[in-house]
Amino acid sequence: MQTIEALLLEPVGCLAEFPSAPFHEIAVRLFGRKRKASWSASRTYWHLLNLIDAVETPFGAEKKSVAETLEVEAVDAASIYEDVVPALAELKSMGIRLFVASSLSRRAASRFIERNSLGQFLSGVRTRDDAGGVKSAPLLNALVGASLPREKTMFLTDTVEGIKVARSVGVHPILMMNDPEESQRLAMHNPAGGVVSLHEMPDFIRLIAAQNQRG
Amino acid sequence: MKKVSIYRPTTVDEAIQILSQHGTSASVYAGGTDLLIRLKNRLEQAPSYLVDIKKIDHLRYIKEDAQGGVEIGAATKLAELADSRLLQEKYPMIVEAIGKISSPELRNASTLGGDLLQEVWCQYLRGGYSCWRNGGYLCYGAIGDNSYYHSAMGGRLCYAVYPGDAATALIPFDARAKLATPQGVKELSIEQMVPGDMLVDGKIQSHVVRYNEILTSVVIPPPKPGVRASFEKLRPRGVWDFAMASLGISLQLRDKTIEDSRVVFGGISGKPYRETTVEAFLKGKTLNTELGEQAMSVALAGAAPLKYNATKIDMAKGLLASGLARLNT
Repeated sequence: MQTIEALLLEPVGCLAEFPSAPFHEIAVRLFGRKRKASWSASRTYWHLLNLIDAVETPFGAEKKSVAETLEVEAVDAASIYEDVVPALAELKSMGIRLFVASSLSRRAASRFIERNSLGQFLSGVRTRDDAGGVKSAPLLNALVGASLPREKTMFLTDTVEGIKVARSVGVHPILMMNDPEESQRLAMHNPAGGVVSLHEMPDFIRLIAAQNQRG
Repeated sequence: MKKVSIYRPTTVDEAIQILSQHGTSASVYAGGTDLLIRLKNRLEQAPSYLVDIKKIDHLRYIKEDAQGGVEIGAATKLAELADSRLLQEKYPMIVEAIGKISSPELRNASTLGGDLLQEVWCQYLRGGYSCWRNGGYLCYGAIGDNSYYHSAMGGRLCYAVYPGDAATALIPFDARAKLATPQGVKELSIEQMVPGDMLVDGKIQSHVVRYNEILTSVVIPPPKPGVRASFEKLRPRGVWDFAMASLGISLQLRDKTIEDSRVVFGGISGKPYRETTVEAFLKGKTLNTELGEQAMSVALAGAAPLKYNATKIDMAKGLLASGLARLNT
C-alpha cells in the first residue's frame, strides 16, 4: 500500500452510532418498504442508499424534505464515538487530509459536523447534494474536486456496500470493526485493512509510511 | 519450511554487522523454539537470514556481579536458570517462574533472550493469516476467537498478548537488559524493553530491540532486605501452555508493613502489565488476610476485554489475591 495522504469518512457507522429507525422510516415513506428495520443503522442506511441509487430521477421537493428531516433526526440522536475527535486531531497534525464524503444530505452532514465541532479537522465535505448522487458519487466528487491520489486514499466503512464502493472508485476500503461477528463476515470481502477504533488510524498510516520507507 | 541462509558469527560485533547488512530480513537465532516454528509455518514475516549466536562466547552464563546481583547471558537456557543454585538462593520466585515456562524439553532449548523477545502466539498469526504482524492490516484476533491469546487490556492495531513469563518475573526485581548495538552498549529496564506493540523498523513488535541490536544479558539487582516475591500462573494444562493470566509480585516489608511493591500481570495485555494502581494501594498497608480482597477491588480498572476474554481479568484478580495470600504465610 502506498503512503496514505487522505482519508474519506462516512459519518454513519464510522464516526458515530446512529439510530436505524429514521433511515428505515425514509425507506418506508419514500419507497414503500414494509420489512422491519435492521438492528444495524449502517445496514439500514446502505440499504436506503441502494433504493435511492436505483431511482432514476432525483427526489422532488416534498420527498427531499421528508428525507432531510428524518436524516437530521438521525443526526440529532447519533452519539459520536469518543475517540473521533482526538483521532481526527492527530491525523490532521500528521498532514492527512480528511474529508467527509457522505451520502447524507448536505443539511444532515453539516448538522453532524457542526454539532460535533468537526469542521476544524476537515479539508472538505462532499454530500449527495454536492455530488448529485449517493454511494460512490460523494467519494468521486471528493477525489476529483480535491485532486486526491486514489492509491493514497482510504475510505472507512463498516458495510459490504462500502467496501465495494471504495473498490469501485479505486481507494482503499478500511473496515471499521464495530461488531466482531459482523466484522468477521465483512473481512471475507477483502478490505484493504481494518481497525477496531478510529484511534488506531494514525498508527495504521504511520506503519504504512514506515514500511514504504524501509522499502 | 521457508528456505533460509544461516550465518554463524563468533563475536557479537560480527553478528551485528551481518544483521545490519540484511536489515529486517535477518533475525537472531538461538534456541529456535519460536523462530523455527515461524519458519516451519512459512509465515511471511519470518526472516530469510538467520544469525546463529550460539557460537559466540560469553552469552551463556549465570554469575554473581560485584554488587551482589546476578547477571545472566541472553543465550542461557531456561533449564539452566531453573537449575541454578545461585538464582534459587537469591531469587527463588524467578526460578519458580522459569520452571513454569512450557515443558522440560523446550526449556532445554529455549533461551532467556528468546523468551523475553519472542513473537506473540496468536493462533491467527501462527496460522498464517495476513495480520498486522504478517504483512496485512487487520487483527483477526480482535474479531475472532480471542479467549486465550489476546489482550483484555486494549491493543494497538495488534491485540495479541505478550506471551513471555520471564519478563513478568524479572520486572518485580527491577531487572535490566543490556543490548549490543552498532553504537555500543545500550541498557534498558525490562519494562522499557518490552513496552507492548510498537512500530519498530516498519514492523509491529512487542519489544524495542531493533533489527541490528542483540540482547546480550539481563542484570538483576541484589535482592533488597525484607523482600518477598511470588509468581502465579493459570494455564489450561499444568505443563506446556502459555498463561491465561500470570502474576509476578514482590513486596518489600518491614515487619508486616508493605514499604514498596511491584505488581506485574502477564498473559492479559500486549505487554507485561505493571499495575501501579495496586502498587500505590499496597504502600503502607499491613499484609494480612483481608488485603487480597481489597487489592482485587482496585486492580485492573482499565480493563477493556474483547468479546471472549473478560474471564482473563477475573483470573488475574484471583491471582493477585492468591499471590498476596501466599506472601502472608
